[in-house]
Amino acid sequence: MTLRRFAPYAVAVGGAIAVTVAIGLVTAVASVSGLSAFYLLLVLWLGARWGRGPAVAGSVAAFLLYDFFFVPPLGTFSVRGPAELLELVVLLAVALVTSQLAASQRRAQSVAEALARDSRSLYELATAMLRTQEVTSALSLVADRVRRLESVARFAVVGVASGQAVQLAGSALTPDELKQALWSYENGKSVGAVIKDGVVVPMRTHGDHDVAAYLPLTSGVVVVAVGARDADDAERRMLAALIGLADLLLERRRATVEAERARGLEASDRLKAAILSSLSHELKSPLASLRAGLTALAAPQAGLQPDQRELLSDLDRQASRLDHMVGDLLALSRLEAGLETEKEAHSFADLVGGSVGQLRGRLQGHDVTVRIPDDLPPVEVDEVQVGRVIGNLLENAIEWASAGGAIEIGALVIDDHFEAWVENEGPAIAVADLEHVFDTFWTTRSSGSGLGLAIARRVVEAHGGTIRAENRRRGPRFTFTLPLARVPMSR
Amino acid sequence: MSGRVLVVDDEVEMQRALRAGLQYHEFDVRAVGSGEEAVREAAAWRPDVVLLDLGLPGMDGFATLRALRPATRAAVIVVSVMPGEKDKVRALDAGADDYVVKPFGTEELVARIRAVLRRQANLTSGEPIVRSGDLEIDLARRLVSVKGQAVHLTPTEYELLRYLALHAGKPISHTTLLRQVWGDYAVGDKYNTRYVVAQIRKKLGDDPANPRYIVNEPGVGYRLEA
Repeated sequence: MTLRRFAPYAVAVGGAIAVTVAIGLVTAVASVSGLSAFYLLLVLWLGARWGRGPAVAGSVAAFLLYDFFFVPPLGTFSVRGPAELLELVVLLAVALVTSQLAASQRRAQSVAEALARDSRSLYELATAMLRTQEVTSALSLVADRVRRLESVARFAVVGVASGQAVQLAGSALTPDELKQALWSYENGKSVGAVIKDGVVVPMRTHGDHDVAAYLPLTSGVVVVAVGARDADDAERRMLAALIGLADLLLERRRATVEAERARGLEASDRLKAAILSSLSHELKSPLASLRAGLTALAAPQAGLQPDQRELLSDLDRQASRLDHMVGDLLALSRLEAGLETEKEAHSFADLVGGSVGQLRGRLQGHDVTVRIPDDLPPVEVDEVQVGRVIGNLLENAIEWASAGGAIEIGALVIDDHFEAWVENEGPAIAVADLEHVFDTFWTTRSSGSGLGLAIARRVVEAHGGTIRAENRRRGPRFTFTLPLARVPMSR
Repeated sequence: MSGRVLVVDDEVEMQRALRAGLQYHEFDVRAVGSGEEAVREAAAWRPDVVLLDLGLPGMDGFATLRALRPATRAAVIVVSVMPGEKDKVRALDAGADDYVVKPFGTEELVARIRAVLRRQANLTSGEPIVRSGDLEIDLARRLVSVKGQAVHLTPTEYELLRYLALHAGKPISHTTLLRQVWGDYAVGDKYNTRYVVAQIRKKLGDDPANPRYIVNEPGVGYRLEA
């Protein structure tokens, strides 16, 4: 150890002697001036190689040897005149300056090497992290790397999601520390240390290894105990970089958790739709057999008595009613589940045509008037759902119209505002009931399900429209609005 | 008119009710409970009409429909509980002749069966004139008239009406109409068919809100009233 420490000085003195011998040999052959510059070369090399100490030692040795052997009076160390003094000063100055330059370059190089080492290890860590599917195991890699830093006594990563703090990696934390971590996250406040200019700076003046500092991140907290006495910039910077990686990983974990939750919600929507469709099947299949059987027996060829056939058709009507109610209930729950609408530009007259076509049999015996202007602009609606609105309002009109009473369907546009109505000749709706007719299950007849108008309202509202009931001169009128199509249909 | 009807339904109660109901209306009925049996029976017994429930266990309704098509020339009426409009379109495009929504009454079913049988008889008779109320479409001479008055249609309008007339009584999906009238590369959307149908109705003097000839099938397409 000591030997290695003194070796540069020995080389410095030895070098000065060697240069002196070389100069002596040259001057013995020919008189050449300025040979002392060889000493400069030696000093430069010493300064670059070992720094200040050996360079100064070399320059002093060189001066003494030069003075003794080549400066008259030869054989003495006496310095005469300013020229010799200047020579000594130059040698010393060169020694100091070069050694200073070399030393700072060496320092810069060692810092660069440390940085390169740090970034290599961060890079390796990041690659390992990316290869790790599990965020928690990637966080453990980070924690392992932090543990290798000498100044860090403890390190832990805490994830925070929906108000819950969970330790994900690193040394075990006490419940109190977890609570403190949650507090730090929720208030966005660092405790005990901060990250400043990419370096972790402990806030305590005295270094206490076991007291943890809390650094809140985007979706979690890092708990770290750093000793102030082991202050080392490189380590602090490394620690800050590792905390940065932990931050990224926590963010990734949050994104994954959210994606999973979204998948869960989507799955629950699918489940809802699947339950509805399976329920409709379970409820309607027995009704299908029931109606097929009842109507089969009602055929004259079945040979039943007229009063028996009448009973069968009564039963079939009840089964139909049940079927209708099940259908309405399912339609309503679908609307409530928010199942999608497929909106397209449609001519309102076409929609009315579809609904009238489906109810043709039941509309017979009523005087049906359609008042739709030829140039009515198209509406932007879901064909099937709005068809159902028109159908439900028509069924309601058939239900309430006086025998042979007129039914009117109409539509018009006033100031870019589309309005349609269904009106029937018949008794007025009691004023107190006007605001309730669209309520779910609200009905004044034992045979009504109270769902048709409720469904109509939901569909209209799902299209951003409104629906209302009023009493006109002839009878009740139901009016609803719909959005106009943005693109006109005529070309 | 009578005929052979093959009932394909996995529920025994439904099979029994349909067999009784259809036999009272003079149909010759056989019933099977699966798609595989349906395909075998259709090839062996040669029914005129297959009543195919879409919700079959094992080989499902659509697969059965596809398998039935090469095996039989029978008309296929698809039967389903609360089918979505997409299911109806899919069934029609896969070769079904009509669809009936469960639950249904026997009278309604019998009417549908007779309609498809009549359509088949017309198709095989090669009768060139299709009638729908006052509307007459002479397929051989490409003439259209209402109450004897000639109606002039553009080639596109005629093609669309001709296709509906060839399948009078059967709902035709927008997709099929687009492909038949505009060809496989039809870039159009349903909007095209709607526009052309509106034009035809105007020329035929048909009221879209209460059509006599071309009827809307909401969410599916159009049908020429037979």
